[in-house]
Amino acid sequence: MATADGGAYSYSLTVFSPSGKLVQIEHALAAVSQGTTSLGIKASNGIVIATEKKSSSILIDDSMIEKVAVVCPNIGIVYSGMGPDFRVLIARARKSAQAYWKIYGEYPPTKVLTQEIATVMQKATQSGGVRPFGVSLLVAGWDTNRGPSLYQVDPSGSFWAWKASAIGKNMVNAKTFLEKRYNDDISLEDAIHTALLTLKEGFEGQMTEKTIEIGVVTVPTLEELEAGKIGGETGRPKPTFRKLSEEEVRDYLAL
Amino acid sequence: MSQQSAFSSPGFDFSNSVRNNFLQEKGMPLPKATSTGTTIVGCLFKDGIILGADTRATEGEIIADKNCEKIHYITESIRCCGAGTAADTEFTTATISSNMELHSLSTGRKPRVVTVMTMLKQYLFQYQGHIGAALVLGGVDSTGPHLFTIHPHGSTDKLPYVTMGSGSLAAMAVFESSWKPNMERSDALALVSAAVSAGIFNDLGSGSNVDACIITATQTEMLRNFVKPNERVEKERHYTFRRGTTAWKSENIRDLIVNEDITLVGATGDAMDTS
Amino acid sequence: MSIMEYNGGSVIAMVGKDCVAIASDLRLGSQALGISSNFQRIFPVTDRVYVGLPGLATDVTTLRERFRYRVNMYTIKEEREIEPETFAHLVSSTLYQHRFGPYFIEPVMAGLSKTPSGGFKPFIAATDLIGCLNFAKDFVVAGTASAKLFGVAEGLWEPDLEAEDLFETISQTLLNAVDRDAYSGWGAIVHVITKDKIITRTLKGRMD
Repeated sequence: MATADGGAYSYSLTVFSPSGKLVQIEHALAAVSQGTTSLGIKASNGIVIATEKKSSSILIDDSMIEKVAVVCPNIGIVYSGMGPDFRVLIARARKSAQAYWKIYGEYPPTKVLTQEIATVMQKATQSGGVRPFGVSLLVAGWDTNRGPSLYQVDPSGSFWAWKASAIGKNMVNAKTFLEKRYNDDISLEDAIHTALLTLKEGFEGQMTEKTIEIGVVTVPTLEELEAGKIGGETGRPKPTFRKLSEEEVRDYLAL
Repeated sequence: MSQQSAFSSPGFDFSNSVRNNFLQEKGMPLPKATSTGTTIVGCLFKDGIILGADTRATEGEIIADKNCEKIHYITESIRCCGAGTAADTEFTTATISSNMELHSLSTGRKPRVVTVMTMLKQYLFQYQGHIGAALVLGGVDSTGPHLFTIHPHGSTDKLPYVTMGSGSLAAMAVFESSWKPNMERSDALALVSAAVSAGIFNDLGSGSNVDACIITATQTEMLRNFVKPNERVEKERHYTFRRGTTAWKSENIRDLIVNEDITLVGATGDAMDTS
Repeated sequence: MSIMEYNGGSVIAMVGKDCVAIASDLRLGSQALGISSNFQRIFPVTDRVYVGLPGLATDVTTLRERFRYRVNMYTIKEEREIEPETFAHLVSSTLYQHRFGPYFIEPVMAGLSKTPSGGFKPFIAATDLIGCLNFAKDFVVAGTASAKLFGVAEGLWEPDLEAEDLFETISQTLLNAVDRDAYSGWGAIVHVITKDKIITRTLKGRMD
């Protein structure tokens, strides 16, 4: 029964193996490390999250693929792993952000939203009839309480705050690269370049605006904060997270 | 995997209804909620839509709020004026606005005015008029400018100029006499302002200031308190009381600044060994 | 006779210069019969936010506990104290959830909110019984004496009152308004919230 691949314990994900592992979660992590590389860097005045998007065939219309997603005006997420699982999580995260807005009249802080997503992912490791999510996430956002913050969420449902992190196929090399390059007072512009440089390591094929996706969190100035909401008191705050357009990505790649 | 979000159970909570119905049967009428007697208007002009509203909220014969906001945010280029039960207009527009944000995130497109109108009418129809929201919806999308009225039971109209609320007759009189197709922006704004003013001055349910919102294909301009024809004049005398006028029986002061005295234990206060 | 008048009671909140005040009478009645002259209906939410809950006394207790629970959960989950604006929205959405079976309470909130630059800004708000928010710049009132309070406050309130002057203005407004309301009175309590202290005083009122 007990074989090298986890054996009997790999079928029911809610059963621990004798060594104290939930083998299905490890398999989920394996699915993540087969996914394309994504990374996030927290700068002194913002955050950048970036990923390569690679399609298996040139016949695929890659304008359809979206790997960096806006959750609400202050939070964005990038993933490595299984696209369909990510779509489910993003739909959940967006609904959760709106539910929070309906109660408190403001969007959730990054940590609260991350916790919500992590809870959803954890449930998939302890419920019957489901499998864990095959994705790791990098959640980047800005809020009045903690300022800019970057979190990584794993299939187990655990999450940590990072100054810089990488997930997916090339994560080990990318993290080593980031460790060498990172310093605490890096600017957002420099962080974007560092992000692209990190992705370049181990990038197969050509890095273009079609094969790279970037999202940035910008820290609003005091004046912007005091200016208030768009459209009066019941309006919306000015977004602090946005995806870079293809033109902007092209400009960064050209430098 | 279909658990609800931790934040809210959707829909309304009827847990107090048994008690409240009992009280009503005993002859206790349900209290009045804040309503916006209201004059709200909207009109089409050359480059888009202008919405207008007064800023009075009433509770029976009492003015509850002298400067409330009745032009609600739906999306960047779609706004909605609300008349009727104030809480209903506020929450209905907020719910739809929230849905439109989700909609545009998942479709990657800017929402259309018809979509908002359809969602609003379906929502209101579902509640069979119990949600007392009478709305003027206006905006510009990829198919051009659109202006709708939505009644509490879910019926809708699409017209080039519309009015709603208790001041709608006064405002409509102004539109009927002066509205023309393809008006210039400044003329249209003056017309909207005149229509709302007609409501402010001739309808008791409307009052205070004029709010306006100009929506064109390129930008949305929210003109909060665009005209203030009813500003309170400077008081002629001041009624500040001499300190000590009010006698009090007891006083308790809660200090939010915590003062701590640190007493070093040991003569030299050796540094902590952190090695 | 409306259920809102069953137990009597009124609350008022006012904005001053870098301070806010919230005050209420202390009467609990059963229609015309007086029951208590020490009924508290203003409660602290955080160090710098207070909420007044005039209306049906049973709902005062229920909502007070409900908000206490929600605010405690918020504080634990978010690792921060709730801001007055956020609390106002919480109150509003809680009441609107009961749109078709409302609590008979018209909450009044007063507090100091943190500004982005690190200072404090006065904040007051009130809602109707189904949660329609009213952010006023000067004062908000609610309860059985609300009509009278509106009148007196409109005459007495002035901008930029210092904490001690605000205390006099809100106290005189409340005392004189509730003297013309049969269902409110029997003493009063006033809280003045400033950035570094909260002054709570109980006032003597007519006992008839």
